[in-house]
Amino acid sequence: MHRRPFFLALLLTLPMLALLVTACAPRPPADDKEALADYKQTNDPLEPTNRFFYKVNDQLDAVTLKPAAEAYRYALPDGVRDSLHNMIINLNDPTVFFNDVVEAKPRRAGDTLMRFMINSTFGIGGFFDVAKHWGYPNHDADFGMTLGLYGVPPGPYLFIPILGPSNPRDLTGFGVDIADWPFTWLVNGTTVYALEWAYYGLTAIDTRARVLDTLDQVQKTALDPYATIRSLYRQRRESQIEAIRNDNRATVPAWFPAPAGQTN
Amino acid sequence: MLERRRFLPLLALAPAALFGRRAAAADPAGFVREVGDQLVAVINSSDSMASKRGQLQKIIDRNVDVDGIARFCLGRFWRTATPQQQQDYLALFHQVMVNSIAGHLGEYKGVRYTLGRVAPHDDTVWVDTTIKRPNNPDADVQWVIANANGGQKIEDLVVEGTSLRLTQRSDYASYLQHNGENVQSLIGAMQRMLARQSQG
Repeated sequence: MHRRPFFLALLLTLPMLALLVTACAPRPPADDKEALADYKQTNDPLEPTNRFFYKVNDQLDAVTLKPAAEAYRYALPDGVRDSLHNMIINLNDPTVFFNDVVEAKPRRAGDTLMRFMINSTFGIGGFFDVAKHWGYPNHDADFGMTLGLYGVPPGPYLFIPILGPSNPRDLTGFGVDIADWPFTWLVNGTTVYALEWAYYGLTAIDTRARVLDTLDQVQKTALDPYATIRSLYRQRRESQIEAIRNDNRATVPAWFPAPAGQTN
Repeated sequence: MLERRRFLPLLALAPAALFGRRAAAADPAGFVREVGDQLVAVINSSDSMASKRGQLQKIIDRNVDVDGIARFCLGRFWRTATPQQQQDYLALFHQVMVNSIAGHLGEYKGVRYTLGRVAPHDDTVWVDTTIKRPNNPDADVQWVIANANGGQKIEDLVVEGTSLRLTQRSDYASYLQHNGENVQSLIGAMQRMLARQSQG
């Protein structure tokens, strides 16, 4: 069974493919300073290619993932969808933990570890977010953010088929997170495969269902939905990285007695 | 005697009026709660969509720095626009703002929100809220409050880390870039967009 390496390889070749069929956005002349500043800020040299993939994706989405997400939202009550969402993020916690550690954020890593242990047991396999009520709130972490925290720039905007908005940094992070997710390396077997693909499928539908109204709103109100999504994606990633950077909570709880001899 | 009796109640009211204004100027959270309650009350009412839009427009025009946001969103093209174009653009932008804010709060019944932290941010104050609306995950929305001309105004909404005015600005910038940097064609596109929205 060599399907998984194939899947990984496919994901990593996609950006290369995109580069091959590349058409470049025209760079404004150097004497038009403001237009040049816009061009640099947008940082989307592959815009024509990206727009092509955006359009393909949008049309595919309209007949596949979107109706699936709408049916999912229609058929299942809020509570059930919330539980499934909790289960999904619980299974992803090992990856979050790995990134918390690499980010050198011990308090966040501790939160994640406690969340995984509490929710997998008391939360019945992650279906209930008990840990949230016990003082261990959920937070985001993936390897794209970790790289960003260490100062790696995102690079030019990329719109990847199926995956959606990205950039070289976040795409690399996506590949690394497949590798650092322990369930990727489970011993092969038909059941394991079925479960993993069910997980991927459910994750896709859950993610899509959670942004149904937001994306509808963008399609309805934006003059250029492609550019609006590009801006939203950039800002969102940047704010997530900022949130990690600003989370400097102490590792030891405030009520914990300081060791003898230590004064502050 | 008569004079004093007429004057006294006024005197008693004066400090209340003074402190009332001061409290409003120094209390961004109170301001957000006031505006938020008004917006939510309109959205959750059972009035028609058209009537709701009219009421939202009034609240937004009163409390949001719409003209300032509009100028920001047009960026460098504001200067190249003719006075007539500026005027048309501003008028349309007021309607855009209603749809945009209503869109983030949800246009349908059942929206609720909770207030969170208040923190200074450069020369503005950010007030955290969490918006809860049916069928959607909770959204963290920060209200950016600035003191302008003595009163408080909402300068931006930051939804899940994304600034409403920054996003709007890049939308317009991209549209202009692909349409010959022509402000008149942007105005036309805004008109068509608003006409489509008021139908559906």
